[in-house]
Amino acid sequence: MAHNPEGNQKQVHYVGDSRVRADRPKRYAPDYSEFPGKTEAFIPDFLLKEWMVAVVFLVGFMTLVFSEMPPLGEKADPTNTSFLPVPDWYFLFVYQLLKYKWASGPYVLIGIVVLPGIAAAALLLAPWLDSGKERRPHKRPATIGIMLTTLVMIVALTWQAEAEHQEQLISSPVRKPKSTEIVDPNSKAYQLYKESACIKCHGEKLEGLNGPHLLGIGTKQGMSKEEMIRIMDEGRGAMPAGMFQGSDADKELLAEWLMKQKQK
Amino acid sequence: MSKKVSRRKFLTYMLGGTAGFLGAGLLFPMVRFAVDPVLKKGGKVEFVDVNLPVSEITETPRAVEFKIFRKDGWYQSEDGETMTAWVMKDPRQELGIVAFSPICKHLGCTVDWESNPQFKNEFFCPCHFGRYTKDGINVPGTPPTAPLDKYELQVKDGRLLIGPIAQA
Amino acid sequence: MLRAIYDWVDERLDITPIWRDVADHEVPEHVNPAHHFSAFIYCFGGLTFFVVVIQILSGMFLALYYVPDIVNAHASVNYLQNELAMGAIVRGMHHWGASVAIVMLFLHTLRVFFTGSYKHPREFNWVIGILIFAVMVGLGFTGYLLPWDNKAYFATKVGVEIAAAVPWIGPYIAAFLQGGDIVGAVTLERFFALHVFFLPALLFILLAVHFILIRRQGISGPL
Repeated sequence: MAHNPEGNQKQVHYVGDSRVRADRPKRYAPDYSEFPGKTEAFIPDFLLKEWMVAVVFLVGFMTLVFSEMPPLGEKADPTNTSFLPVPDWYFLFVYQLLKYKWASGPYVLIGIVVLPGIAAAALLLAPWLDSGKERRPHKRPATIGIMLTTLVMIVALTWQAEAEHQEQLISSPVRKPKSTEIVDPNSKAYQLYKESACIKCHGEKLEGLNGPHLLGIGTKQGMSKEEMIRIMDEGRGAMPAGMFQGSDADKELLAEWLMKQKQK
Repeated sequence: MSKKVSRRKFLTYMLGGTAGFLGAGLLFPMVRFAVDPVLKKGGKVEFVDVNLPVSEITETPRAVEFKIFRKDGWYQSEDGETMTAWVMKDPRQELGIVAFSPICKHLGCTVDWESNPQFKNEFFCPCHFGRYTKDGINVPGTPPTAPLDKYELQVKDGRLLIGPIAQA
Repeated sequence: MLRAIYDWVDERLDITPIWRDVADHEVPEHVNPAHHFSAFIYCFGGLTFFVVVIQILSGMFLALYYVPDIVNAHASVNYLQNELAMGAIVRGMHHWGASVAIVMLFLHTLRVFFTGSYKHPREFNWVIGILIFAVMVGLGFTGYLLPWDNKAYFATKVGVEIAAAVPWIGPYIAAFLQGGDIVGAVTLERFFALHVFFLPALLFILLAVHFILIRRQGISGPL
């Protein structure tokens, strides 16, 4: 009970034994009655709709999960000098930024502190930088413009990084094989290999003649059965398209066998 | 029953059904993944030559050490695991030989032959004074509630091979 | 029976108002995709949370088999993926879910940005949201190393080197992340601890604040 030296009869009430006034004005979330239209209760009406969306989402997500195996490469080998490092896709734009001359070397401060710093600060402080009352996008062109420009740049940098990475993968020098042994030489696929045009450029023992050797090709980064078939169909570099003329089943067999040619 | 109540009931059932679908869709693969070791059959245990000619086996239990190699998840010890068996002659058995596992049926300690001078001619477990007769039968009134496990055995070229624990 | 248990608890703890507040609050028409199909953009936040739930669950189950150790990590991932029923699916959910989470979070952030929903009085919740984004990216970065394959190893090396390039404090950040001079055994253990204990704890706190603030402030009105 508050002491009233002035003899004021108006008493102050508190909640419990804390110092929070009982008559303190409360903050209520808006009830949207000022907006036209139909509102509905969260449970069960609205939640049901949200969950319907979640069902659609889950079905799509599980379809993705069931159709694509999560990749697992060879065990990490720090001595592997030919592996081309690449960060996860959502870091690619930073990775790419640091490749440019004006954002690396002596100017690395720009690429690593200034630009990301400005972007992070602007994002965090967006409510105060864009403090006007107007919410509709077309009424705040500067804010929206900056965001769109940034988005375009991020997409472009990511695109560029991925393109350069793919290019490097293709042109990465073929490592000297550690062993000249052919894996599973009794396979029918090796017969197919020897009977087709492959042998003329890649050699009878995969040792490479005019074309690159194929020893350990299964270990090459970015190589897969699908990629192998694509190269046979479309060619690559000096190799013309459609070099393998056997049936699709044979082509698959050959690609599978080539992927077995693994070396450390 | 008013129309409004039945609508509400319907929505609640829908909500429950959808929640069930979402939960089952998410959890089915995960729970199947988690219980896989329960559903999997144990790996086949090979018979191991324990480097013991059958002729050397006597009436007195003898501790025989042997190594088994089994896969433990992704791990396989290169040296194998050392196991022990108490081997002795027993004319009642098919091969005339019996090999007991030294794992006490009480709480899994290791039993020893005649290790306690008080109990001659018995297997003795030091943890809680569990006792077994020479036949591997638990002595009533001591903690173990079942006889010692027996290994499956084979004899090949006069040598003893020890396999998995025999299923009762 | 259930009713009796509920009443018994409610009589003592007065739990009804807590969930009633959530259950009965009115949701306005402009965020309801049943009324305007374009309102699906307001679902991105909820879907992001849904993916986070998928990540937490699948992560918990993966931890049943995974070991954060440079000798065994790759073997344990290979084992859980190829030798256990549904292994590829559970790991797939976690692996693809990580990317989907970033995408959904990105879309949610853009929705809030373009509808100007971060404006007064919701400035603070925007800041919390950006912090959640940072934590999620951190979870992605630390989780990427855990399978300990070449891709993971070299990507982390690049990441640590980027951090090391920051003037003055860079080498300290790199040494902290690596827990030593190289990306190796200690790094893997650290990234694991960050990935399953520190960052999720931070994420839970931020998410709780995010949701409480949404309840306090309500959804922003129609444009």
